[in-house]
Amino acid sequence: MSNAGIDWTLVQLLVQKDWFFMRKPLAVYLALGAFGLFLMSAGSEGTFYAGSVLLLTLLISLGIHLVMATVIEERTHQTLAFVMSLPISPREYTTAKILANLTIFAIPWLILMTGSLAILGFGLEGAGLGLIPFAAVILMEIFVAYCFVLAVGLISESQGWTIAAIVTTNLLFQGVLYGVSHMEDMASTMKGSQTVWNATSIGLLGIEFALIAILVGATFHFQGRKTDFI
Amino acid sequence: MTDLAARLEGVGKSYPHFILKDLNLELPTGSVTGFIGRNGAGKSTTIRILMGLVHHDRGSVTVLGQAMPMRQAAAKRDMGFVSEDMRLYKAATLAWHMEFIQSVFPTWDQAYADTLMKRFDLQAAHPIKGLSHGQRVKAALLLALARRPKLLVLDEPTTGLDPVARHEVLAALMEAIADESRTILFSSQNTLDVEQISDQITFIDKGRIVESGNKEEFLDRWRRFRLDVPRGASVPVLPGTMGPGVNPPGSRLNVVVTNRFEMSMVAAYQAAGITVQAIEPLTLEEIFVTTVMSKKEGATQ
Repeated sequence: MSNAGIDWTLVQLLVQKDWFFMRKPLAVYLALGAFGLFLMSAGSEGTFYAGSVLLLTLLISLGIHLVMATVIEERTHQTLAFVMSLPISPREYTTAKILANLTIFAIPWLILMTGSLAILGFGLEGAGLGLIPFAAVILMEIFVAYCFVLAVGLISESQGWTIAAIVTTNLLFQGVLYGVSHMEDMASTMKGSQTVWNATSIGLLGIEFALIAILVGATFHFQGRKTDFI
Repeated sequence: MTDLAARLEGVGKSYPHFILKDLNLELPTGSVTGFIGRNGAGKSTTIRILMGLVHHDRGSVTVLGQAMPMRQAAAKRDMGFVSEDMRLYKAATLAWHMEFIQSVFPTWDQAYADTLMKRFDLQAAHPIKGLSHGQRVKAALLLALARRPKLLVLDEPTTGLDPVARHEVLAALMEAIADESRTILFSSQNTLDVEQISDQITFIDKGRIVESGNKEEFLDRWRRFRLDVPRGASVPVLPGTMGPGVNPPGSRLNVVVTNRFEMSMVAAYQAAGITVQAIEPLTLEEIFVTTVMSKKEGATQ
């Protein structure tokens, strides 16, 4: 089964392979994530804060773990030669890596994001409906940061550059957290009892979606220019 | 015209500290080519270009009728590849790897895989992380052989193996050779391994192919003369000879090596008053070392 030069059957097999190797860590992340959601919904401001920090930490860690395990270790553990000896083109390899990574990350990210937004939606003590746009922007930023680390990992195949990307995105995350929470349009509605989707929150989400598209596109572009694969 | 499984024509690749120069190599269908060179000679780069994993800067590469690297996916459907630095997934078992390869290659032969598993003393349920280096190489070879490839590319598969594992690997390769339509490229620093299984020999050094040809013809045309040179006589310089330069000046016993041996050479030495004490065949290793050294010194006449 092929379309536009891509053998999707093989791509699917490679995606399944990465899912197979990540299934146990993923189960651990999901279990810890469920615990984080439980803390968020426990009713006090303290547990809500602890649960939120745990969720954000888990999502950031999952992103790092995924890129290191499925991209960097493929090179450092010398399994890349095994994969590239299969009847695949570099484009199919890149497609499979991006699909595997995005799906493995997106599923827990979506579950945990939906769970945390739902908890905020119930307006429990310590949280509020007004926090939903801010939370959405912040959780989406984690997805953007993950795509950036993935792009750097795939393009550079270097542990050093990937660690540099991880450090950069973590510093940026703190900056985004501070910057967004201090934006007048966001700050004025965050503590309210209603969810307000204004131009700023929608604009920020739009920028984040665009960044994800640019990062995925750039990964394909730079991978396509590579001449050496092992 | 010979049916070719692979052809590299004028292939070049430049790195900051290494250049592969104007490489021409043909792998006739059904041949077993031994690819010999020192560390850093360009064997792995050539093999990676052949596999489409490294793009060449110059020349053309055709493998199983497919232009590389553009059509590498199509070519690799009929190729098997094992390299010394290739690793399998530590967290998975050999059974998982076999199932994975089987799902990719419709040509997978489970009965043959079972036979190889027994011969290599491997267990399907064993995780790869518990295997020794030799067992890992055998597992990789099993995965490559049981897909029944038309072209098997082996990049130093016997490096680091103990003598028993080497023997088992070579025996499996000998069996694979029995299929006359299968082409094998076997790179190694170990000339003994190559000599055992190859019918074609190619030497590479410093990014250039320095010798290439049929193994038997190769061995036939290389000879070492042990000469007794009386005082006053000088060793005539015959075509393809190397060696007089390395003998101590004035020494009576001279060793001369030639890569264009003919019986008429004996008469030529005798005519010069020299006694030919012995004519000896050379091992592939001696031929390789002599070839590389002579190219280095420009000593071939």
